[in-house]
Amino acid sequence: MAAPAEAAAPAAAPAVSGALWAEVWALLPGTEEELTLALSGEVDDCVQPLLRRARGLLYGAAGRPCGEEAAAALRRLGDILRDYSWEKLNAGPWREISKAWRQVYTYGCLFGALAEVAAGRPVAPAVRLCDMGLLMGASVLDNVLARLVRVLQRQLPREQRRGAAALAAEVRPEGPDPPRRPPLPSPRGGGSAGPALAAAGPTTVLQSVWTEPRPAPAVRPEDALPRLRCPSLEHFRDNYLIPQKPVVLEGIMDHWPCMKKWSVDYFCQIAGCRTVPVELGTRYTDEEWSQKLMTVSDFISQYIVNEKSVGYLAQHQLFDQIPELKEDINIPDYCCLGEGDEDHITINAWFGPQGTISPLHQDPQQNFLAQVFGRKYIRLYSPQDSENLYPHESQILHNTSQLFCFFIG
Amino acid sequence: MAAPRRAWLVFGFSTEEAAGEPGPGPGPRRLEPGPGGIRRVWPAWSYVVVETGAGLEVQSAGQRRRLRGWSEALPSETHLVLRGATVARAWRRGAGLGAPAWSRALPRGLPWQPLPLLPGGFATPRPPFYTTLPAGLRARRLALGNEHVLVLGANGELHAWGGGRHGQLGHGTLESEAQPRLVEALAGVPMRAVAAGGWHSASVSEAGDLYVWGWNESGQLALPCKALAEERAQGENAGAGTAALTPHREQPVAEAAAFISIQALPALLDLPQEPEVSEVSCGSRHTAAVTRGGELYTWGWGKYGQLGHGDTTSSDQPQRVEHLVAEGLWAEAVVCGPWTTYVCVQEPPGPQCVPSPPAACSEDPAAARTSPSPTLPSAPQDRTRTDSAAPD
Repeated sequence: MAAPAEAAAPAAAPAVSGALWAEVWALLPGTEEELTLALSGEVDDCVQPLLRRARGLLYGAAGRPCGEEAAAALRRLGDILRDYSWEKLNAGPWREISKAWRQVYTYGCLFGALAEVAAGRPVAPAVRLCDMGLLMGASVLDNVLARLVRVLQRQLPREQRRGAAALAAEVRPEGPDPPRRPPLPSPRGGGSAGPALAAAGPTTVLQSVWTEPRPAPAVRPEDALPRLRCPSLEHFRDNYLIPQKPVVLEGIMDHWPCMKKWSVDYFCQIAGCRTVPVELGTRYTDEEWSQKLMTVSDFISQYIVNEKSVGYLAQHQLFDQIPELKEDINIPDYCCLGEGDEDHITINAWFGPQGTISPLHQDPQQNFLAQVFGRKYIRLYSPQDSENLYPHESQILHNTSQLFCFFIG
Repeated sequence: MAAPRRAWLVFGFSTEEAAGEPGPGPGPRRLEPGPGGIRRVWPAWSYVVVETGAGLEVQSAGQRRRLRGWSEALPSETHLVLRGATVARAWRRGAGLGAPAWSRALPRGLPWQPLPLLPGGFATPRPPFYTTLPAGLRARRLALGNEHVLVLGANGELHAWGGGRHGQLGHGTLESEAQPRLVEALAGVPMRAVAAGGWHSASVSEAGDLYVWGWNESGQLALPCKALAEERAQGENAGAGTAALTPHREQPVAEAAAFISIQALPALLDLPQEPEVSEVSCGSRHTAAVTRGGELYTWGWGKYGQLGHGDTTSSDQPQRVEHLVAEGLWAEAVVCGPWTTYVCVQEPPGPQCVPSPPAACSEDPAAARTSPSPTLPSAPQDRTRTDSAAPD
């Protein structure tokens, strides 16, 4: 039914490249002088000449896509800037890395992505470069990478549809299909697929490979957290925040768009081609634990749909990287009760299959966990019990307990 | 009998490209010998300091500049440290050689140690420029990584300290160390050489065995590297242009346990045919070793051609640099810059001659002075030079 994964997309014809280039060009300052290459701090002397040369190659062609030679030279400079700054980004704890070096990395990604477009090559690698800059860099030119990736993503629908159709085809199971229940609710019941998929309803196909989810662990009544329905800010603050008592708040998310919109299909459609960090391995205290960058589509096909091994899109500021998803959620009013101003609110996404485990740990900030679909079992201990929870001695894991928590059932 | 001719070749990132200009390609390139040939090289990223018969010289894109009166250099992208007979100084790059950013008088009469070692401590090409060492360390050699320091002591013992997040200290943990700490795993094996890369370390024992430890993210430890294995697998999965969208094919990825990202304890590295290693040097993310048989092996990050195999692929397996073999060149010494490999080679002798053994690189300064003038000792090595010229 669905077409098998096709071979390489043909290189974009010059006409397409011209139209795309015009759109991309419009994101940049009009003249070379206006692209100031300003950095939020000092970097090594060798960097500025490289930035200037890249800028010169870009503007040298006066708004037309650079010639092949200039595009190749621009690509090379992008590589050099990224590789040089990469070493700085890895030269110490992340919080000590200067913003200036992260900006240099972003310029490297920007020039690299622009070179791909200028050379008329397929857009997906350019999208990946933008994502690398968004993940590891720091904003330059008014967050130009976020604007650039939006433009480039629009070029992808046709390619993306092919990719997602192939995704559906790939998960067709061998052998008999026992009836199984999908853990993720399909937004459209058993009906047709989302617009991104040409194949028959993905729900029907994907359903067969999902395993039966484990039953929820039993929680004794005396351990269950209190549940409140939309308490007032004052009530929450006085009875839970200040005395540091955990609580489940109900009804807050009822009208968030994500409750209706989010599904595996939706994520593939909105963000399938975007590169995200994925944690591999059962828990981050294990020796074999690692992180890997991959596209959302790859993550879903490898770790959500097929579940060969554990992969977890965890603790990632997905909504900064993909602002379209941010429009599907709200920030609970209760967040304004925290210390500091709104800038101190960080929003992380957690997206994974069943069986992901976060070891017992303590976060530096107060948290709200908003569960959109699926379920999570959480066990909380009072900070007063910290010593009895045997935090690791090493600096890296000092916020994490050495204890395993097995839940029963 | 014609004296053997020596030359320095360099592979990898060029100083021209570091300046944003078109580059001459990954190499090999031959360093211009200058007056009296090149004896030692100290590479930075965008420039290299060489020692010629006429003294030190800075070579960068298209430019050469003499540094009169100095005997040794320790360069970085932010500063240049120069050492003379009586003083060591550091200058900010790009500020010319006017007022130094740092200066330290050196007492005379002490046994010579190569930079970064200085009497009582060591120099760094960035602030604080000088750090004391505990006297008990009896440092013979010292190597600087991006975040760590390695010291080879008088009895062949190693100490390591500094940042340890990538296992580069060899203490078996990912913890950093504020003070020199003995590398216990090698305590029974006397070393004769030590090298530090960006986030990895290497040492050569008296018996010619090579040990490596630290970060293996580009195969620089010659241990199985997951990222490289995946690249190779993707390369075999014929070119899909939209690699990011191609649904993941079932790749026969070996057990996760087989790949090593960090090696926190020294591991013995056997080169193909297990020859004796005489020297090792580390770049940012690659490693190079010279064997007693005059061969050069490289592995690790190769994107800028620094492995010297004529391509830009990285490798987690040591490979011999065939160019030297093809040209009949005998490798005597190797020094890595961040993205480069400099190798000192002895060129094929004339028809009636036997190649002179690499023992010309002796530690005895007297031997160097009595050898005929066209013969240049290979670098780096110990040489006490009496500098009569006052430093600039």
